[in-house]
Amino acid sequence: MKRSLQQIALLVAKDLRIEARGKQTVGLVIVLGVLIIVVLGMGLGTGGPGAPMSGFKSTAILWVAYLFGGVLCFEKTMAVERQDDALAGLLVAPLDRGALYIAKLLSNLTLMFVLALVVTPVAILLFRFDLSTHPWGFVIVMALGMTGFAAIGTLFAAAVSSTRLQGGLLALLVFPLSLPVVHASTQMMRKMFEEGEALSGGGLATLLAFDLMFLALSWFVFELVLEP
Amino acid sequence: MTVSLSTPAATAIPGAAAAVRAEKLTKAIDDKTILKDINLDISAGRYVALLGANGAGKTTLLKILATLVAPSGGVLKLFGQTVRRDSIHIRSRLGLIGHGAMLYRDLSARENLVFFGRLYGVADAPGRAAELLKFVDLAPRANDPVKTFSRGMMQRVSIARALMHNPDLLLADEPFSGLDAPSCRMLEEMLSRLHGQGKTVVLANHEISQSLRLAEQAVVLRKGRVVLDEPASSLDPAAVLAEVSAR
Amino acid sequence: MSTLRFLTWGYWLLTLALFAATVTMVFTYTPVEETMGVVQKIFYLHLPVAINTFAAAAMVFIASIGYLWERKAWWDDLAAAAGKITALLCAVVLLTGMIWGRSAWGHWWTWSPRLTFSLVLFLLYVVYLMIRPSIESPQRRAMVCAVYGIIAFLDVPLVYLSVKMMPDFHPSSIALAPPMKLTLLAWFLPVTLLAAGLIVTRFTLNCRLRELGERREEEAHQPATEPLGGIA
Repeated sequence: MKRSLQQIALLVAKDLRIEARGKQTVGLVIVLGVLIIVVLGMGLGTGGPGAPMSGFKSTAILWVAYLFGGVLCFEKTMAVERQDDALAGLLVAPLDRGALYIAKLLSNLTLMFVLALVVTPVAILLFRFDLSTHPWGFVIVMALGMTGFAAIGTLFAAAVSSTRLQGGLLALLVFPLSLPVVHASTQMMRKMFEEGEALSGGGLATLLAFDLMFLALSWFVFELVLEP
Repeated sequence: MTVSLSTPAATAIPGAAAAVRAEKLTKAIDDKTILKDINLDISAGRYVALLGANGAGKTTLLKILATLVAPSGGVLKLFGQTVRRDSIHIRSRLGLIGHGAMLYRDLSARENLVFFGRLYGVADAPGRAAELLKFVDLAPRANDPVKTFSRGMMQRVSIARALMHNPDLLLADEPFSGLDAPSCRMLEEMLSRLHGQGKTVVLANHEISQSLRLAEQAVVLRKGRVVLDEPASSLDPAAVLAEVSAR
Repeated sequence: MSTLRFLTWGYWLLTLALFAATVTMVFTYTPVEETMGVVQKIFYLHLPVAINTFAAAAMVFIASIGYLWERKAWWDDLAAAAGKITALLCAVVLLTGMIWGRSAWGHWWTWSPRLTFSLVLFLLYVVYLMIRPSIESPQRRAMVCAVYGIIAFLDVPLVYLSVKMMPDFHPSSIALAPPMKLTLLAWFLPVTLLAAGLIVTRFTLNCRLRELGERREEEAHQPATEPLGGIA
């Protein structure tokens, strides 16, 4: 157990170090996210000094940016392993496949966290979202939603990276499977910001169930998916 | 070079337990048979060449030996232990050199080696990395990113990576492909030296005369079966070629 | 061989006859519902198809697990067949649901929980069909699709939970008169026969296509070994 944790830390540190060298993924993903927000803002943003926009609407706009940005993160962190067959080097090592999955997931979540850290304030600024009633509810719902999305994304990135990746295949796989999480988080935001309810336990349970189910499942099938 | 590469305790003594013992190993993907009834006995400390035409099953067999792929049937024992899915202990005694360098291009040679060393739980990974970089003659370039290296240099780092945890069994899958003549000779020497230090070497190669010159034992695969398994010195390249390419 | 063909013909004729009978039943025997009018009759098609959609999706799920477990190509053929029928049936559910919504609320589309549910389900299985041709290697395709098929099915209850959070303006249940219930029950028969028949037909076709492809591949590989033999 302790050894696995050390190996996970080592793998994540390695991924982040490679990312820090090139800074390709984070830069790319942030710029893409901001562009998406701007495009959406052109049509949907409130014109003139009016009332701020409901926090509920933020989920739709942010999810578009997170979904596209996230898929790029998943692709990039896995491409690093496929280049020069580095993955085989990991697989012959005394390393549990589950640990490898967790490490990749953590790397992806870190990158997505950086993405969210830049894109969310930009969206709040451009759309004048009013999140003041439930700021923490917003953070918790988004964090849980992204975890579920990343759990699936990490799994499928490993599954399709060895096929000569046809453009958009990963997005096509991951988007529909993530729809429940997008939908559930949107509904929770609606309840919080439109109906003034507190963060609902049932909604949180749905999101948590989604996260746990896909984490567990991915952990199990990750080994199968990696096999050449 | 005077660097000692083996801690005597970890090295298998020639003549002791077999390093590799495969019984009726088969591999089928869907309904296609790739390997059929492979029986293989490699005693510790041997240098074995695995020969065969493209598609004969060399790479698959090597992947099974490296525990990357599970066989569909049969028993595989490495160092006397049966290989299962979670053979973490067995894995720590294997070293693999493949077609790909199995390195991270953006990291330096030293960073790569230290990373893999730590993954194996090597006690003094930086020290061991420095030692091996000297062995593969790349100490001056240790801190350059691997992507600036030539193919030959990359392959040398790759060998160092495979040796970080001082494995007892070294598996090499076509390591000479794409190398120029000097790099080839250097790699040949390295493998022979490692063999001299008591390591078991399994080399998948399509160069027949080179393999017979280097190895002690030659195993020929054809259409997923072992068709020849004999001491290399007793074999004639032309006869082996006939075996490889027979239909 | 001829008995099999005979049985196949019989099966499809029976299905057709049952459809004819149930359609006649709907328009002659079953009374018209008071609030919705004639459009309500679409419900007798809608519900059996919806139930069969779940059954087909469950079949994809089981076949996917079967493939991961055994790695036999026919499991993948079965999953692909069931996936195709799931998407098809789900399209019918979605369309009939939309027609219902149009007459109930005057719009083809409303974000009602049930319509949203069937839309997400439809998207899940349409994508399942779309990804199949984009992966070249048969083993890789089967593997990726199996994992997708499992997760897609596990998604279903989650979609259900999340649509339950939506504000509902759907009549949750309509009181059905006994003849209406009987009609509904009668409709399950031809719809289930049709769904099962389509899956089996598609499954056997998939198997045959795969075997054909494999044979062609083997033939393509044959000449490649000849020059090697020539050298020796």
